[in-house]
Amino acid sequence: MTFFYYNYTGCEPMNLLFDKFKEVSLSVLPITIIVLMLNFTLTPLDGTMLLTFIIGAFLIVVGLTLFLIGIDIGIAPLGKLLGATISTTGKVSIVAVSGLVLGFLISIAEPGLMVLANQVDAVTDGGIRGTTLLVVVSLGLAVMVAVGMLRIVYNIPLYKVLTVLYGVTFILAIFTPSQLLTIAFDTSGATTGILAVPFILALSVGVSALKKDSKAGEKDSFGLVSIASVGAIMSVMVLSIFSDTGELSSTLQFELPVTESLIGPFSSHLSGIAGESIMSLAPLLIIFLLLQKVSFKLEKKAFSRLLKGFIYSFLGLVLFMVGVNGGFMNVGTIIGYSLASRDSYYFLILMGFILGVVTMLAEPAVYVLTHQVEDVTSGYVKRRAVLTALALGGGLAIGLSMIRIILPGIQLWHYLIPGYALSIGLSYVVPKLFVGIAFDAGGVATGPMTATFILAFTQGAAEAIPWADVLLDGFGMIAMVALMPILTLQILGLFFSINSRKEGVDSDG
Amino acid sequence: MDNKNCFDEINLMTVIVNIGMASKIMKHAKKHGVKGGTILLGTGTIRNQLLEFLGINEARKEIVLMAADSNTCEIALEELDKKFNFKKPNHGIAFSTSIKGIFGTKAMKCTEIEERGEKVAEYNLILSIVDKGKGEMVVDAANKAGSRGATIINGRGSGIHETSKVFGMEIEPEKEIVLIISQSEFTEGIVSSISKDMKIDEPGNGIIFVQDIDSTYGLY
Repeated sequence: MTFFYYNYTGCEPMNLLFDKFKEVSLSVLPITIIVLMLNFTLTPLDGTMLLTFIIGAFLIVVGLTLFLIGIDIGIAPLGKLLGATISTTGKVSIVAVSGLVLGFLISIAEPGLMVLANQVDAVTDGGIRGTTLLVVVSLGLAVMVAVGMLRIVYNIPLYKVLTVLYGVTFILAIFTPSQLLTIAFDTSGATTGILAVPFILALSVGVSALKKDSKAGEKDSFGLVSIASVGAIMSVMVLSIFSDTGELSSTLQFELPVTESLIGPFSSHLSGIAGESIMSLAPLLIIFLLLQKVSFKLEKKAFSRLLKGFIYSFLGLVLFMVGVNGGFMNVGTIIGYSLASRDSYYFLILMGFILGVVTMLAEPAVYVLTHQVEDVTSGYVKRRAVLTALALGGGLAIGLSMIRIILPGIQLWHYLIPGYALSIGLSYVVPKLFVGIAFDAGGVATGPMTATFILAFTQGAAEAIPWADVLLDGFGMIAMVALMPILTLQILGLFFSINSRKEGVDSDG
Repeated sequence: MDNKNCFDEINLMTVIVNIGMASKIMKHAKKHGVKGGTILLGTGTIRNQLLEFLGINEARKEIVLMAADSNTCEIALEELDKKFNFKKPNHGIAFSTSIKGIFGTKAMKCTEIEERGEKVAEYNLILSIVDKGKGEMVVDAANKAGSRGATIINGRGSGIHETSKVFGMEIEPEKEIVLIISQSEFTEGIVSSISKDMKIDEPGNGIIFVQDIDSTYGLY
């Protein structure tokens, strides 16, 4: 007896594009709604700014859709291919060298890191040169990518590696000048950028996928981003210990933004962003073209598909970044400023939490990570579960950051030290798959939305509060966003391990 | 526990749907008597020139495998069709194929591989579904009994022993599906070697199906 229902022919043509568009819209919608609600209640925005915000939101939706398609068919397949190619050589030296080269190239072209390097240059009055920082951090990251890849090959558990690395980090932290400490923890967010994260994630999946032991392969698919991030933190610390930083000048030029034209904010960013996007895509493209000749030798169809992925990524990246910078940043500043100017700070903390939650939903790398988790675990760990934990983490991070700005007695390390100690502690009891996902999520959460919209929000709030420091408080926020998801995702892992034991195996069949 | 005997036919249902639908399919099927199932991830392609040019002609799919006796199968597929409208375009496809033998479930008792039909197939497909990480053990056990190769696929699934929730979402533990093609005279040996090593007869250790194969290519 055989049933056969066959209705597979008439797929609506624009289905896939539409699906992606719908999914992206749903992730950008919450943040748009929250801001619009704020506009009509607590913090009215002027008409032009509101319009630029809406245009910005639209650009973000279109840009993100294209960008994510680009990741799906271009960047991620390249990472996997590369990972698999490297590990099939079977030579440890090749794994190490390619880790070094890849890590360095990705990091040095990262626009976020360049911005940070310039800021550090300014803050330390040239005590740490921007170019020096750029090179040292890239080297640190390169070494750690190599270490992370060797870890996968040698089967060293992630939690052990992270315990050692964070141990060293905290010893270094004792000797680091306190203002630079904040910046050091921020670099982890700045280096793991919008392109680097999906690429590194795919790379480690590629390296791990060939393991014969499928369980190890799965849990080793995550963790490379986290190891790379620690590399960035450590290199800034080492640099600051060996540099004569002197007295830090923490003055940041800050003015409340005024938006007068509709198109201006977007067009003024366009050329800069287009340049940055080309810069950050270039190393990957060069690697791809080079290896296509030398080793991949993909068929024409697969080759052109990957190239199309790069074009999608580029277009999407430009639209997304123009939308965020042109439409969201100013709004963030104004909201932060006006909320912090109110009599009661409760609104600021509450809104900080809510904005943190909705921002996580719209982060591109978050989208990539949640999908990757679903793919690697064949759907056992659902996208929604990871997303919920990440969003809560983001919300807590911003809420706690607001409390820190309001209460001058709280220093950043009051959060960071117990937070990281707890993270490392949890990593010994949580299922190992979740340890990797959680520590990677730290790098994933600090994407362009956080670095622009939430940063502007925090700086706006700090500006309105007389005793707060615009520069330092802004920096510390990113460090918090990198920390909290590690905790929330590991707690999610605990829930999974408690709830997924087999029940009633003995009693009934 | 249902008291099925060997002479009831057992069918394997396969449902292919868009990503995210598989858990709902399985939940609905369980309401209509199906005991458990396994879900695989896959990619489907769309035949459309424009999408092909744009490079976005692939869509992620989920494949649900569920075994049940033929009556339950019939009811479950009817009900699924009613609820999920497979008739409409892009709502997925469903079909069922027959199974020769099944091991590792008491819900459908059938421990002897029965020969039925006029023609005895030359080859069998042995499908073992076990917990993640144990696929290698299945392959080793099969090799001991003369199997010459196997393919492992990752999936997730849930039987009657595994139902729990995190934040209102059902957890479906990860599984590995081992596909082995064997000559029919070896089938019984391979199956019993796997059942012995994996303790398939004890509940919660996995499940094995055997299906007939009409023709094979590429075996030597």
